[in-house]
Amino acid sequence: MNRGIMFKAAIELWPSTVFCGLLLFGTEAALAYVIPTFQGQLSDSLLKIKFLQDFLGAMLGVEITDQLGPEAFLAFPWVHPVVLTTVWAHALLCCTRVPAGEIDRGTADVTMTLPVTRWGLLASETVVWMVAGIVVLLIGLGGNLFGGQFVAPDDRPSAWSMFIIQVNLYALYLAVGAVAWFASTVCDRRGVAMSGVFVVLLASFLVNFLAQFWDVAERIAFLGLLHYYRPIFVLRDDLVPWRDLGVLAAVAAGMWMLAGVVFSRRDICTT
Amino acid sequence: MSIIETDSLSRHYGPRRGIEDVHLSVPEGTLFGFLGPNGAGKTTAIRVLVGLLRPSSGSARVFGLDCWRDTRAIKDEIGYMPGDLRLMPWLDGRRALKIWGRVRRRDLLPFGRELADRFALDLTVRVRNMSRGMRQKLGLILALAHKPRLLILDEPTVTLDPLMQAEMHRLLRQWATEGRTVFFSSHTLAEVEQLCDRVAMIRDGRIVANESLVALRRRAGHEVTIQWRNAEAAAQSPPADFDLQERNELIWRGILSGPVDQFVDWLAGRAFDDVSVGRPDLETLFRQFYTSDESADR
Repeated sequence: MNRGIMFKAAIELWPSTVFCGLLLFGTEAALAYVIPTFQGQLSDSLLKIKFLQDFLGAMLGVEITDQLGPEAFLAFPWVHPVVLTTVWAHALLCCTRVPAGEIDRGTADVTMTLPVTRWGLLASETVVWMVAGIVVLLIGLGGNLFGGQFVAPDDRPSAWSMFIIQVNLYALYLAVGAVAWFASTVCDRRGVAMSGVFVVLLASFLVNFLAQFWDVAERIAFLGLLHYYRPIFVLRDDLVPWRDLGVLAAVAAGMWMLAGVVFSRRDICTT
Repeated sequence: MSIIETDSLSRHYGPRRGIEDVHLSVPEGTLFGFLGPNGAGKTTAIRVLVGLLRPSSGSARVFGLDCWRDTRAIKDEIGYMPGDLRLMPWLDGRRALKIWGRVRRRDLLPFGRELADRFALDLTVRVRNMSRGMRQKLGLILALAHKPRLLILDEPTVTLDPLMQAEMHRLLRQWATEGRTVFFSSHTLAEVEQLCDRVAMIRDGRIVANESLVALRRRAGHEVTIQWRNAEAAAQSPPADFDLQERNELIWRGILSGPVDQFVDWLAGRAFDDVSVGRPDLETLFRQFYTSDESADR
């Protein structure tokens, strides 16, 4: 790893990290306050509208039938589309910078002729990105805790559950980021890399959604990353989802390694 | 000792030619000009040398190390400035020197400041607010600040004003006298002629000449201009070793490939008013190489 590259990466990442962190803080604070406060009304309305019920079920990764338990409401702030989009957007912004972003803006000629191996460059960038991801999630968690201050203590999740959900969300973040690294190493255009990963994430979301009412989608749901992020089970069972964490970690490690192999072998051509 | 050595080096972009069978040898401590028109393959060759492109075939070595496999060790001791230089818009000179210094694990600020004074560059201006010339200066400073053993510059003076070009030439000459090597690509003949000890010419991806300027000129013969006294003298046939390229009433212009003394003997008995014999400039050489190769191709 190289300190200079890490310093450069930190300078380039802090604006998006602060922006995504603040967005997550606001969203989490609002959801952590609004959902428990209006839980009763929300429960009635959601159960009356089938589509909303399915949509919520898809996000939570469970089938919602006749009643919405408290876990569903406590899990909702961590599966809300704004929350997931913010987390993914941060991963996409960070992980498509090198090499696709550098090639795209023409700076690859300069950064990739510095005395750092391509693996070293990727590792240095990755460390900064991983730290930035922790910062974003911690700011989001801060928002959730802040919003939770204004509701009854019984309407707040336990600290342990919160911790596990954060770990699970971070594992998802790492997996999405690693897919983005890979896309970035096979593309010369950042926009193409970002679009590619976005399509993968959208497909993952759709499969998860369709799995609630379509058998075919249910059979292939395991292929989507969101299948391994279900905070409702953590809140309900208070257990660490080792299998989900393992799969996400394996995807993250595998895709990152693949990205490194491709990056170390590919030509860099900015013209 | 050769600091850059390529052997049958080729690089293609799919079906498109990049460089073909390039043999290049750059001795240490020289100012080496790499000359060719746009699209001839100069940048492709340089990109292979700095490890951005992998050769399709053949080998490229710098400091005796393989340019692809040992690229990190090579980059430790080279300074490189790309032709189409782009820097991060948020960067300013000071910060750039700090980052580059951290990457190279040495303090580049003192010498960087010295260079900035020499090139009259304000190190506090951000790249997004710089003109092209200023960016070029910063690129040069970043390539030079760690005092590399080998400096690879891809058309470095394109956007520099004449004063700064002269300053850069002075610096590069000083660099070479300290035993460092400068590999300098250009399509400006006058610049290479003014600056370099040795030159390689590339055309359509192939090296057409690689030798010292003196040897190149010697091989290319002499440029001769004769002004005859009358039409009768001008009408005679030239000697076999004189390639008459222009015949304009009483004036002959051409290239002499044989010895000058024999030519002067031949001329002595003839009626002429004026004669000039000199080494051709690089531009003439360049044209010669290109036109002769083109006719060979045909």
